[in-house]
Amino acid sequence: MTPPRSHYLPRTRRGRIATIAFLAAMALAQPPIVHGLMNRTEPLILGTPFLFAYLLGVYCLMIAVLVWALRKGV
Amino acid sequence: MQPWVVSTSLIFIYLIATIVIGILANRKGTSSMEDFFLYGRQAGIIVLYLTVVATFHSAFAFLGSGGFFFTHGIGFWMAGTWTVLVGAITYTLGTRIWALGKKFGYITPADLIADFYESEAVRVIVALVSVIFTLIYIQVQAQGLGYILSVATGDRISFELASLILLVVAAAYLMVGGLRAVYWTDVIQGIWMYIAVWAGSLLLTYKLFGGPIELWKRLMAERPDLLSLPGPEGFFTPGMWVGMTIALSFGIIFQPHLMIRYFTAASGRTLKVLGATTPIYLMTLFIPAAFVGLGGALILPELASPDRVFPELLFQYAPPWLTGLILAGATAAAMSTLDSILHSNMTVLTRDVYQRYIAKGRSQGHYLAFGRCVVVVLLGVGWLLTVVNVDFLVDLVALSGAGALQLMPAVLGVCYPGRRLNTATGVVAGILAGLVTLYLTRVQCPQPLGIHEALWSLAANFAVTIIVSRFTRPPSEATVERIHGEVERFVYGR
Repeated sequence: MTPPRSHYLPRTRRGRIATIAFLAAMALAQPPIVHGLMNRTEPLILGTPFLFAYLLGVYCLMIAVLVWALRKGV
Repeated sequence: MQPWVVSTSLIFIYLIATIVIGILANRKGTSSMEDFFLYGRQAGIIVLYLTVVATFHSAFAFLGSGGFFFTHGIGFWMAGTWTVLVGAITYTLGTRIWALGKKFGYITPADLIADFYESEAVRVIVALVSVIFTLIYIQVQAQGLGYILSVATGDRISFELASLILLVVAAAYLMVGGLRAVYWTDVIQGIWMYIAVWAGSLLLTYKLFGGPIELWKRLMAERPDLLSLPGPEGFFTPGMWVGMTIALSFGIIFQPHLMIRYFTAASGRTLKVLGATTPIYLMTLFIPAAFVGLGGALILPELASPDRVFPELLFQYAPPWLTGLILAGATAAAMSTLDSILHSNMTVLTRDVYQRYIAKGRSQGHYLAFGRCVVVVLLGVGWLLTVVNVDFLVDLVALSGAGALQLMPAVLGVCYPGRRLNTATGVVAGILAGLVTLYLTRVQCPQPLGIHEALWSLAANFAVTIIVSRFTRPPSEATVERIHGEVERFVYGR
């Protein structure tokens, strides 16, 4: 039997873009970034503490990657 | 009219509505096992979307999350990470589970895993993990429900009776209409709970502070410790942050009541749309929870039980009719998870235990009747666990979050072809090693080095699975070719 190629690494260009973009965005919402650089209340963003607004922005970015992958048929 | 009368009336109107939906679902459905257990594998995007989000968010979304913000501050906004990760898991893994389920007729997670590993031992251990760790959730949801109803009635209905009433209602519409009833009620529950949380939160925020921006200003002035990491009690350390992200995404997805939902989708495309869009609902529900929890920390700083912050604020500051509507929404949040857990345990016990080992070759009607009996037993056990305080339950509840997570290496081995195969012995040894490590790092020596038990147990599980699999017999070539070949065709079309 010929072993199938691994499914853990994306094979298509769009698959690679989606995977790297999602993981990179997720890393922005993980330590050490959130516990270091982004762990602050100021500057306020539309009256909202920086950390809260920053995480909301990252979550929206992650969702945007998923929607992009859907639209591109990844 | 007194506030408790309004609240209680609205909750009971809601309960009657769910029973009516169960009856309608019964008329619409057929008497086949696929229809009763899997909605006939024809759930479209709207129904599936709302049942997944309603099931994912339990009583915790109403009560626990506000309590977390109240106690530990803004760190709980990390919840957004795991909710978006759930979408990605659905997009990539859920579609594969759906494709294999449709091709080979799987009904339970144990069907999927045992078929690949060609092992009855794997089937039994997966079924046991599935049932034991979600059975505890019946108790958790029933406690939430009992608490909500007893609070709404001003303790005129005792906690014990309240939890029993709501368990009986959930079990009733499940027995009558099967998964179709669960899905249809989840549609209402999903919409209701979202509107209720936002409406209640915004009302309180504007009434008490003049709006979210004013709330943030007061927090910065009076409680800045709630607005930074790791929080006032030092809870959200990096190790806890990463561990909770894994445990509450993969750990919840591998619970049978969510995995079974993948089998029910009408198409793979439906699941991809679901994966890309459910995070919007799941993540944004924690924004109003933040307003409630953080605002509550300013208004009710002496509150003894932080989980009570939302209902306490409602009763003190919201009109009775709105309080009733919102508490009915809280009831919906808990019941939509409870009915799904009852359903998945019924399905696993009927399919993986009774049909497989006790009564083979009976009619579909026979198995459906048995499934309904299982629901009655689960209802009784769940209620007893709710009202009887047993010490070991405290440990079991603590373990349950990462319990189903231990199925991860086994499921990935089925759905992701790789250069090395997991074996049945490796998977069983890995699950056992993971569970032992989970117990040690959660109960005996909680979170060593500040790292969440999910990470310790998962690391042990993967290590043992990989090592043991290198020295034991893999699945047959025919089975690997059949199942991994199907995954290859589904994902890459060849």
